[in-house]
Amino acid sequence: MKLFKKKQEFYLSDRQPLTLMGKLMLMLSYLILTGWSIVIVWPLSQMVISAFNGNQGRYLILNRVTDGSYEFSMKHFRFLFEETLYLTWVKNTLFIALATAAITILIVSFTGYAYSRFRFKGRKPSLMAIMLIQTIPAFAGITAYFTMHSVISSVAPFFSRQMMLILIYAGGGIASNTFILKGYMDSISTELDDAAKIDGCSNMKVYRLIIMPIVRPMLSIIALWSFIGPFMDYMLPRVLLTNPNDYTLAQGLFTLMNNRETLNQPAFAAGGLLTALPIVILFAVLQKQLISGLAQGSVKG
Amino acid sequence: MKVSLKNIGKKYEGREEFTLRHIDLDIEDKDFCVILGPSGCGKTTLLRMIAGLNSITEGDLLFNDKRMNKVPSKDRDIAMVFQSYALYPHMTVYDNMAFSLTMRKERKSVIDKAVREAAELLQITNYLHSKPSDISGGQRQRVALGRAMVRRPRVFLMDEPLSNLDAKLREHMRVELVRLHKALETTSIYVTHDQTEAMTMATKIVLMNEGKIQQAGKPDEFYNQPANLFVARFIGSPTMNIFEGMIKDGQFISKDGHIKASPSDKDEASVKAFEGKEVSLGIRSERFLTGDAQEKIEVTVDVVEMLGKEKILYTKLPSGDEIVISVPGHLDFTEDEKYTFGIDHGALHFFDTTTGERINK
Repeated sequence: MKLFKKKQEFYLSDRQPLTLMGKLMLMLSYLILTGWSIVIVWPLSQMVISAFNGNQGRYLILNRVTDGSYEFSMKHFRFLFEETLYLTWVKNTLFIALATAAITILIVSFTGYAYSRFRFKGRKPSLMAIMLIQTIPAFAGITAYFTMHSVISSVAPFFSRQMMLILIYAGGGIASNTFILKGYMDSISTELDDAAKIDGCSNMKVYRLIIMPIVRPMLSIIALWSFIGPFMDYMLPRVLLTNPNDYTLAQGLFTLMNNRETLNQPAFAAGGLLTALPIVILFAVLQKQLISGLAQGSVKG
Repeated sequence: MKVSLKNIGKKYEGREEFTLRHIDLDIEDKDFCVILGPSGCGKTTLLRMIAGLNSITEGDLLFNDKRMNKVPSKDRDIAMVFQSYALYPHMTVYDNMAFSLTMRKERKSVIDKAVREAAELLQITNYLHSKPSDISGGQRQRVALGRAMVRRPRVFLMDEPLSNLDAKLREHMRVELVRLHKALETTSIYVTHDQTEAMTMATKIVLMNEGKIQQAGKPDEFYNQPANLFVARFIGSPTMNIFEGMIKDGQFISKDGHIKASPSDKDEASVKAFEGKEVSLGIRSERFLTGDAQEKIEVTVDVVEMLGKEKILYTKLPSGDEIVISVPGHLDFTEDEKYTFGIDHGALHFFDTTTGERINK
């Protein structure tokens, strides 16, 4: 019994024991964190519940589960698929997101590799220029984009507004991501390049066979960011895309919120829920890559 | 394969000065040539130029009398072991070793045979399917060697390959590398800043400093006949004792007058030519006589370092100049006591103080 008691007295934590003040501060921290998570979780849960609540009308009301005002139903989803162009919007958004991610990855691979590995005239100034350019929000150039699009499409009619949107997203992504990828590649020893060159690789092969597999975590993060962008953005599609058949998800769903004729707020909630799906799936698939990438990126800074 | 460097020079982009200039060097077939020098002397640059990783600003690089200046690395028939090993982290040991042959589109069976042979020789067969991050430093070192061996190069380049290993393993790998060099029958060029590695492994040493070759030749020449003051100071541990002074009546007299040393009969003529001029005298720590001799120095022992087989005495002349003397470990010496040591005429190195060049050839 005595031995047992003694064991209990061991203080195993590496930290100093908490003082009274420390305990109070700890409680305060928990309070703040709890409050914070309520602020985030409550609206989200309301959205999810509303999406499945058959008793919700066109306007969202507060869900009350207890007094029988909740009734499980898929009618908002049905509405979304049957009465709106939801599937077209999904298709549009996926097309734009995938194309953006693909173009960004492809070009950033080249620019990142070039800036990291080669010394050429204008390297520093152009890096500087890229850094300055990325501080200007893409939206600032909206009139220019508009004119550019009309000029190009008058020559090449197949150049749609969606394509213009892809180019804008990709262009913005290339600027900032070139920096990130360059920094990441700088941390890879150039002796690897040398070894590969002696082993018989051309510059392209050095990238494809040696560097790319090593920077894959960073590439997947860049791909993910570029992919998510079009899902989140509302302003650019709102200005550029005028035909409901061209709408992206964010823009399309917004018509369920702001347009008196098509107003259906629970359907908006349902649509928002579904929109999250592809991103969640992507996160799950890339999880392994992302975690190592984020961790390494954090060390590199 | 014979490697010749003819008046090679290298200037990096954006630098005012040449990093290397007027390098003339012949490395015979099957030589184990060690390029030795302090850091920043341009030895790695020289190796990278031979490998084709750095361009050659001036001069010619010849492999068997064929000019190689513009030939890309992969076609030079060379292999290189890097300081950091430069193993491809995403590939297994096997893939790392097979990589160069895969790039040459060799048949699978040929690659497999070559890799297994090399793995056998280096005793890494058990790790063939591990990733480089899962094996120890010594094993990585072997994989790096194996990767270079697999392609059967005609010139084997190594850039400080042992500097990341612990002392024990380094000693072991030194022998192993020499054995490997003999088995492969290639020309090896090895860069290091460690004189022990150079002395033990090389058939030919090239000592460089400040972008110039100071001396090239066999290891024993370096120790017994250093060509100038830099070489004399660089090679040997403890560092050679150097005294400044002048020649008077065919005899060396140090500045403070405490050391008088006559050259041996063989050196007499060449030393006499410097009569009245400033000369530096070099004596290795182990070449002082504990027995009787004609010319003697009297020193006070400051610190005794016991190394087992020998003792290193840090002593002071009456003038305060320090002399390092090593004596057999079984002799007794007490700190702060005075002792006399004899000077061995056969062990004197005379150097011209102004140019630093050796006088007694």
